Amino acid sequence: MRGFATFHPFVLFLYYAMVLIITMLMLHPVILVLSLFGSLLFFLTIAPLRQFLLDLGFYFLMFLLVAITNPLFVHKGETILFFLNDDPVTLEAIIYGFVIATMLVAVIFWSKSFSEILTTDKFLYVFGKVVPKSALVLSMAFQFIPLFKRQIKKVHEAQKTLGLYTSNSITDRILGGIRVFNSILTWSLESSIHRADAMKARGYGLPKRSNFSLYKFEKRDLGIIGALFVMFFVIIFAYIKQYFAFNYYPAISDFTDTKQYFFYFLFVFMLTILPFMMEMKENLLWTFLKRKISASPIRNKKNVS
Amino acid sequence: MSFSIKQGEFVVIFGESGSGKSTLLRLLKRELTPHGKKEGVIYYKNRRLDELDDDTSAREIGFVMQQPEVQIVTDKVWHELAFGLENLGEPTDVIRRRVGEIANFFGIHHWFHKHTMELSGGQKQLLNLASVLVMQPEVLLLDEPTSQLDPIAAEEFIDILHKLNRDLGLTIVLVEHDLEKVFPIADRVLLLESGNIILEAKPEEIGGKLKRLNDTHNMLQALPTVVRIFNELSDQPISPLTVKEGKRFITEHFNDHIVRLETSETSANDETPILEAKNLWFRYERNRPDILRGVNVSVNKGEIVTILGGNGSGKTTLLKVLSGQRRAYRGNVVLKGKKLTKYKQSALYKQLIALLPQDVQTIFLKSTVEEDYAEIGKVMNGTKEALEQSIHKIANLLSIEHLLEKHPYDLSGGEQQIVALGKLLLLEPEIIFLDEPTKGVDAYSKLKLRDLFMDLKAQGKTMVVVTHDVEFAALISDRCGLFFDGEIVSTGKPKEFFANNNFYTTIANRISRHQYEGCVTAEDVIDICKLNGVKKHEQNIH
Amino acid sequence: MRKDLLLVAVIVLIGVILFKGTKIQSVEEYYLTHIDDITPESETIKISIRVDAVLEHLDKLPESLRSEKYIPKDGIILEETEYVLRPGDTVFDVLLRATRHHKIPFDYQGSEENRFGSVYIKGINHLYEYDCGPLSGWMYTVNGEFPDEGVSKYKLEDGDVIAIQYTCDLGRDLGHPYDEKEVNP
Repeated sequence: MRGFATFHPFVLFLYYAMVLIITMLMLHPVILVLSLFGSLLFFLTIAPLRQFLLDLGFYFLMFLLVAITNPLFVHKGETILFFLNDDPVTLEAIIYGFVIATMLVAVIFWSKSFSEILTTDKFLYVFGKVVPKSALVLSMAFQFIPLFKRQIKKVHEAQKTLGLYTSNSITDRILGGIRVFNSILTWSLESSIHRADAMKARGYGLPKRSNFSLYKFEKRDLGIIGALFVMFFVIIFAYIKQYFAFNYYPAISDFTDTKQYFFYFLFVFMLTILPFMMEMKENLLWTFLKRKISASPIRNKKNVS
Repeated sequence: MSFSIKQGEFVVIFGESGSGKSTLLRLLKRELTPHGKKEGVIYYKNRRLDELDDDTSAREIGFVMQQPEVQIVTDKVWHELAFGLENLGEPTDVIRRRVGEIANFFGIHHWFHKHTMELSGGQKQLLNLASVLVMQPEVLLLDEPTSQLDPIAAEEFIDILHKLNRDLGLTIVLVEHDLEKVFPIADRVLLLESGNIILEAKPEEIGGKLKRLNDTHNMLQALPTVVRIFNELSDQPISPLTVKEGKRFITEHFNDHIVRLETSETSANDETPILEAKNLWFRYERNRPDILRGVNVSVNKGEIVTILGGNGSGKTTLLKVLSGQRRAYRGNVVLKGKKLTKYKQSALYKQLIALLPQDVQTIFLKSTVEEDYAEIGKVMNGTKEALEQSIHKIANLLSIEHLLEKHPYDLSGGEQQIVALGKLLLLEPEIIFLDEPTKGVDAYSKLKLRDLFMDLKAQGKTMVVVTHDVEFAALISDRCGLFFDGEIVSTGKPKEFFANNNFYTTIANRISRHQYEGCVTAEDVIDICKLNGVKKHEQNIH
Repeated sequence: MRKDLLLVAVIVLIGVILFKGTKIQSVEEYYLTHIDDITPESETIKISIRVDAVLEHLDKLPESLRSEKYIPKDGIILEETEYVLRPGDTVFDVLLRATRHHKIPFDYQGSEENRFGSVYIKGINHLYEYDCGPLSGWMYTVNGEFPDEGVSKYKLEDGDVIAIQYTCDLGRDLGHPYDEKEVNP
């Protein structure tokens, strides 16, 4: 994942906000399919294939489950297929179920890629810009929590080999747990005193603290932000203008409008496919560069000698 | 006390635990000055330390502490490096440049983006050093920075200090108990005793001077092996410091008529194995690599077996499997002729097996040692009197009566090891597993630990020790094994074991191997040299 | 963990299906209902369904409903029709019978699903509550009065005249003296 993830965290944040808004706001089947398509393709490029397939299988089942649940509870729609317990099961409700399921799965896959590429430090960075004081606190928490968890595990293991808390009775276990927790509190107090010393020794508490981050705002970030806003505004404009209106009840709209406003759907497509295209571009670029590198005379010489 | 340190000097401070080394060092760093009554003045660059402005004080005097983990403030390596500069309010581009520079110097760029949790102990301490150096200090103060590291990481760390001192002229004040590596690179050494500097000399003179001062001084045992050997064999004031110099000293001064020490070692051990592991295979998760790959080991009753191996080789895992904490997916551990898996957990850890983990602090749950010991009463189901009696027996055996009322965390590293071991002994185990018992233990306490091990052995206890401390293994083992690539690749009595190893061996062996065979401890070398006698001067003339 | 969640969801779904039973009927079967013939002795009531109020606010309707199919020009979905009153009949019983008889889609919330303990009319002939603005929904009158009870609570008597009407303004457009009462439970 070299392509999309290398953009400035703000860009990534912005992108996800836009995509999620569009996915959740506009209940248009074409838009949702585009969004799902984009999220799946992008997740495919950043996740290992095995994990991708496993996830796909799982969410397909969830998709079906959500889709069939809707008609059981919603009886709107004019095309009645049959009556279940005197309640009509309608084609419209089934289709609406599929649409909602599509939205859900698309949002899930967007969130999955979101958590892959917006790593904690990027998240902290964005957060820290909004609330500067929180950046260090959160960073310390992220440092300390895993440490704390590991210590608990270590103490538990040590106490077990001392023959303590090996009994099966639940009260014993709970009491043992409390005891371990108490000692861990002492331990964390102890280590936080040392940590406070280490912080003071490195000048913490001086009045003019700055916030460092690894992320540089580059020209291409500005470029992509511009592009994102253009796409987003066009889409929102179309939404307000009802170009994306689509009815499910009592009868499903036809796609004449969709054809008519095809142009605007193109923007949705561009927006949702963007991360995937970025990855692809990078991949292609690299295959190309690799060829160039391996064709360089220096390498050849080395091979000969 | 008064002393002065020149710019660009490398000063080593040593002394027994409780001699005030750390307090002294902390006094030199204004932000860490301990509470209490202070008299006298500390000058930094001809200015009173307490009159420096905050910025200079934080920036120019760097401090690295003992525990690698507790000094790390943030979650990511890069952020940790930037932390100090952020505090000083440096702008982003300055921080970026400095951080990049320091990451390169330390070779940190490979793990620059990692979570600080994922680092090894050595890497963590290196990061702590780097995070201080990024502020470009003029003086670097270090409080036993290598005591929690394995020997290889410790050596790397000391090498970097050497490089900083030699190439950048950084002034370094190092409090250290493992003097082996630091003596050759130090400019000056201070010996502290109950808050006083009792000795101040060049490292090559320390041995001789200390011997003249008091030839039974505890700290004589803490000196590097070469110095110790030299001290026993010669009265010259200037001692060799490195293996190279030690070798030359032996070649030049001692005969080689007798090549091998007659060992009076009779294996008094019971030859029946109490614990046997056959073809153990283990991994933590299905799709993770094997950590044990067909380990075979057998331990006889009353034996001390040491398993040596590098960091992260899986020694700790082996110990967990042998002690029944984890279960091998193939192979068996047989304890007293019965499979380990057949034992009930409650039966196993009572009067049979005990394990001393690497982090001994995890043993303690209570606020005093005595209370902590009393916890064991719940396991042993004895009367209160019986428990008290056994506590006092153990305390007496370990001579830790004076520590019973203390908080376990307030003890020194060596004391913690011994007190934790005491807690295990209350369970009256037959086999004791010990994971890195010398971690954070100073040289003198190591000797106490050895004596204790010998006592326990005499009582018929069996011990399996996992360590990377080669010197300690040579002192205590009946048999040694090298753990590598998921297997125990070679085992043998320490004399053969270390004599056969070229690299993985003790300093005493390295100093003497060109002339004598099978000498693994300083005592061995001293004995054989004395046996051979000093070369006659006439011989040199011929 | 998440596999478990999915499993739980499937089990719940199966449970609901089992609990609710699975009586499946085709559309024809469902609408094939028996209507009692009116004889001179039988007690009867009259029922009508109207959407006149919507006709003035067609602009408020979603586009998909602006069709004669859903909103007839005359506002009549079911003209006043006479039905036999069975003993214990409530407004709901008659309404259900009438819509079923005339194949008018009728969607409601069962009395066990809401806090009023009465059936709540959600939609008739694809026209649902809130379709004509936030104050819109279905109301009913019996003999020109707005009862305080829900449709499945109101017991009918011989000769009652029921009017099911759609309001766009909490009943005020139907002549209901607005007195802070719920629209139609």
